Amino acid sequence: MSGRAVLLVARQELRIRLRTGRWRWLLAAWVVVVGVFTLLTDLALRASNDTIYEGATEPPSIGPALFTVLVLVVFGLIMVVSPALTAQSVNGDRERGTLAVLQVTRLRPAEIAVGKLLAGWGVGVGALLLTLPFAVWPVVYGGVGAWRIPVVYLVMIVLLGVVCAVSQALSSLVVRGVTSTMLAYATVFALCVGTLILYGLMGAAFTQERTVVLDEGDGGTFTYVERSPSENIWWVLAPNPFVVLIDASPTAPERPRDQGDVAYDQDPLKDLHGAIRSTRVGPGVDRRDAPAVWPYGLAANLLLGVGSVLVTIRRLRAPVAALPRGVRIA
Amino acid sequence: MCLDDARYALRVPEEPDGDVMVQASADSDVGIWVRGVTRRFGTAEALRGIDLSAPYGRITALVGPNGAGKTTLLLILATLLTPTAGQVRVAGLDPVADPDGVRSRTGWMPDALGVYEQLTPREYLAFFAEAYRIEPALVADRVAALLARVHLAEHADQPVHVLSRGQKQRLGLARALVHEPRVLLLDEPAAGLDPRSRSELRDLLRELAASGVAILVSSHILAELEELADRVVFVAEGRTVSEEEIAGVSRFVVSGWRVRALDDAALATALAARGIAPLGITAAGSDLPPMSDVDAAALLASLVGDGVPVIAFGPIGGQLEAAYLALNKERR
Repeated sequence: MSGRAVLLVARQELRIRLRTGRWRWLLAAWVVVVGVFTLLTDLALRASNDTIYEGATEPPSIGPALFTVLVLVVFGLIMVVSPALTAQSVNGDRERGTLAVLQVTRLRPAEIAVGKLLAGWGVGVGALLLTLPFAVWPVVYGGVGAWRIPVVYLVMIVLLGVVCAVSQALSSLVVRGVTSTMLAYATVFALCVGTLILYGLMGAAFTQERTVVLDEGDGGTFTYVERSPSENIWWVLAPNPFVVLIDASPTAPERPRDQGDVAYDQDPLKDLHGAIRSTRVGPGVDRRDAPAVWPYGLAANLLLGVGSVLVTIRRLRAPVAALPRGVRIA
Repeated sequence: MCLDDARYALRVPEEPDGDVMVQASADSDVGIWVRGVTRRFGTAEALRGIDLSAPYGRITALVGPNGAGKTTLLLILATLLTPTAGQVRVAGLDPVADPDGVRSRTGWMPDALGVYEQLTPREYLAFFAEAYRIEPALVADRVAALLARVHLAEHADQPVHVLSRGQKQRLGLARALVHEPRVLLLDEPAAGLDPRSRSELRDLLRELAASGVAILVSSHILAELEELADRVVFVAEGRTVSEEEIAGVSRFVVSGWRVRALDDAALATALAARGIAPLGITAAGSDLPPMSDVDAAALLASLVGDGVPVIAFGPIGGQLEAAYLALNKERR
């Protein structure tokens, strides 16, 4: 696979994409929507941020809360948009008769597959990077930490690429563009919502009643009943893109606090992060020691993405011995 | 075509003439060499045994009814499909074992236009030039020369979607030529072209053939092919029915003849006296049953000798059309 050939295909594909449709208007609308959303969330958080803990002289920062809401909403929108980016990249070209003439050039199937993927992915990454200024906004309030932005954006870009790769593989497997687009959306839905439903159902189906007795240190004990066997089924949640994103985001550094003069910040991202990790430990274990979920989830997603690219390459190979039903080469 | 098949007959030669059939082997210098190729799609047999040679420097026509397997054969030659059985060599290479080698030496123009509507012809050709790994430094000159060659220079920087069908077709041909292939595969290149574009296409293909390119053209426009091609391969139901030099076609096809005279009555009387009953009489003339070139010449001489004012006398349709219809009639 030559880098030059991949870039040739990507450039060509990108040029065609940018000349069809009103990309400038779409991107402008996207920036306006995210901007207005950030502004309104900011105002809403300010309005409700009047609780100052006793002894605190400085109100908590709304930065972490704003950052959490913004990142989750932007990522949600990206997950909604991304299947469409490559869902017709192979079968659409087949329909227009432009794929076969590409296949008979000296471009290799891998160069065509990766080049086309880069073009679709690139459009998504562009849309994502346009939201960066709004992500910097809450950081200015403090309490978010400098590492969150690069890590969160990097993970979003990788997961976006996985969705693009899966959609592209579907477009190479399915003859009709409408069908492959629907399947791409179904896949994203299964990853984002299906895993949650499955986790909930499995937790309920395999309920184990375990009585946990905690020593409170002062001689007294605290007793509760744990029902979910979460430490056995946490892996069902792991491939969820939102779980990967939240769990991978670094926790904000503790703000220097002298005798409680600063109130605790509301940081939903940190809370969610803790909730996700706590699924890995059984009852009675200190949840602060719970190991990370994201390496497994990210690995599963990368496997899915790489597998999808390999499927696409395979489907672009010619000459072919067997034609699936309804496929017309040219 | 609404010609009556009764006006054509097929005279199969008793023994094949050695000099008519191209005696070629896989390693000889023919551009395309196909022996016993079959292709199955599930249970449907698209090709049941194709034999064909297309020598360098010559234009070979691939003629057959819809569904005869012409496009399937071209897809195999263009390295997109594998044959189920049989041997194929394109530019001396096996398209299954060495597709890249075949691709670098072969230009293919499918019947679908397959152009990106949003690009300009210049961008389109430059992309394919690079996709065929032509030195980037040479691309601009190569593209400019090609655009001039297919008469698209003045449209070079307009988007493709404003081009006419004929112009798009020429752009498709330019794409097939972008890497200066030794073998050219054209699927219905003249479809949708006006007469002027067709004659330009003919001139261009003749030029390419003269420079040593092996050209295989499939088409339905038989009169056109007759002027263009040197050789013709008839296929029907996935089989090669006949492989001939165009000049040799008349030797085994006897077509009907059409005669027209200033005096219809005198012509009718003269024909009746010779025991020839016209198959039909139209404003274009009287259609006579099939007869050989020699018999037709003798008839014309004797009609003129008897003082019949003949103003037109010629075969009905072209030789290829006659052969094509005769072959179709054979099969029924």
